Amino acid sequence: MDKKIDQIIQDRSLYLCLECGKCTAVCPRRLTGKEYSPRLLAHKVIVEREDEAFIENAVWECLTCEICSEHCPSGVEFSGFILEMRELLAETKGLKGYRAHDGAIHSWMRMMTAPELKQNRLDWLTDELNTSAAGDIAYFVGCAPYFDVFFSGIEVDTLAIARDSIRLLNYLDIEPVLLPDERCCGHDLLWTGDRSNFERLQKLNYQTFKDAGIREVVVSCPECYMILSEYMPKVVPGFDLKITLLMDLIQQEVHKGGTAFKPLKRRTTFQDPCRLSRMLNRHKVPRELLTEIPDMRFTDMEHSGRSAICCGNSAFINCDAHSKQIQVQRLTEAKNTGADLLITACPKCMIHLTCAMRDRLKQKTLKLEIRDIVSILADQIKPYGG
Amino acid sequence: MKKVRLLGICCNWSPFACYNAAGMARMKMPDNFKLIRVMCIGRVNQALILRAFEYGADGVILLECNDEDCRYGPGPEVGHENVKRVRKMLHLLGIGQERLVEKSFAAHEKEELVEALWDFAERIEALGPVTEQKAMAAHV
Ligand code: SF4
Ligand code: SF4
Repeated sequence: MDKKIDQIIQDRSLYLCLECGKCTAVCPRRLTGKEYSPRLLAHKVIVEREDEAFIENAVWECLTCEICSEHCPSGVEFSGFILEMRELLAETKGLKGYRAHDGAIHSWMRMMTAPELKQNRLDWLTDELNTSAAGDIAYFVGCAPYFDVFFSGIEVDTLAIARDSIRLLNYLDIEPVLLPDERCCGHDLLWTGDRSNFERLQKLNYQTFKDAGIREVVVSCPECYMILSEYMPKVVPGFDLKITLLMDLIQQEVHKGGTAFKPLKRRTTFQDPCRLSRMLNRHKVPRELLTEIPDMRFTDMEHSGRSAICCGNSAFINCDAHSKQIQVQRLTEAKNTGADLLITACPKCMIHLTCAMRDRLKQKTLKLEIRDIVSILADQIKPYGG
Repeated sequence: MKKVRLLGICCNWSPFACYNAAGMARMKMPDNFKLIRVMCIGRVNQALILRAFEYGADGVILLECNDEDCRYGPGPEVGHENVKRVRKMLHLLGIGQERLVEKSFAAHEKEELVEALWDFAERIEALGPVTEQKAMAAHV
């Protein structure tokens, strides 16, 4: 165990920590008053490892939002360290963090590791959405069908993202294949330390793509995209799929010049998903696309782009009063821009922020329409000059 | 034929009174049936029902009080809502929504309860086991 920890802190550059505390100074958990300090965790894991209770607790507190690494002068890879520590603690001590919603979300993700699964996940498809029974290009839906059932109490429509992604692809003359037995991408299992089930999902999904003759997978969710493009290749030997982020595809079309957007007279702002803006370094893409839309008044929040603050929760663990406070602050910042429409790019940002908006006492001040960027683009896209 | 695994989640009040009375009367119940007693069906959330299937149940029955008899207030109504949602999830997962049922009882209805259990066992046996759902419990 000790050797393993040595290896992790070596690999993630924790020995380079200067104890400057910049990470703690920007950590959203800390800034909402949580007794949690990434600097202290780095210190303890290096020189006070006997304080197991502290370390074991702190490892699950992190949102893995990576804003600390933005500011770290020593290049400490904090969220990578957290990821590997969680794997280790899950494996050796069975720890898994305080699972939000009693772990229901992780339950269905694990249930999807059954090889003989025969899902009914495409009942929502309608005739207006053109998909193909066979072809080279698949669209990856992710957990949206499950989210919409599980979270029906807060009335989120994350399947709108899937519908509008298909509309966008259809606009580009792509009729994607939708796989009836695609499984969860495994993001939340990975980030809660469940490596073995995560790897099972990678292999099963890859096999599903290959069996269907798929060469390219288009993804709209930044978490799914990150897993499929960066993690799946490490798990699957001989990985040979092209993984495309839908937003990148639209940006390429705009650059080619054949595509424009209809005006939208709204005041908008953007909640950066951590995976999209920091981990995948795509913070400029949504802004470039949104500013193409005539009549839209886009204003960034005080914390935006690579400095944006997390939506308050990641991988559905440790959702608490501090998560809520982060969400309230996020929504307040969004409101302060004067926006009447909050745009995001991740179904989970949508779920978490919608949940916070429904607070009975704060409803009046926090309520704000929230939509995914693909929905806005699908509504506004048109041929250039058309 | 492989035996199915049946789970009942039972409210402590009316349905458990029935279950207890049925036991006292030595009424025969399905032997592949396990019971979890909770203080109120309102205590059971979507996660707990889903987890029963994750851990390998082939059928789950929620044994509730009648809506108007709940000792706490909205317990059975919470149960109906959760059953509605989890059934949809079981449909999505291809496990089949008919594997989750709910049934309510007044405190004196021991015959009805035993009959409901046999009926439940019969239906799930007809469906057979959920194939190899256990493999994934490896890491829970
Ligand atoms: S910002 Fe980097 S160097 Fe400074 S305390 Fe945090 S991890 Fe250490
Ligand atoms: S990744 Fe985010 S939540 Fe975790 S320590 Fe860094 S700033 Fe804090």
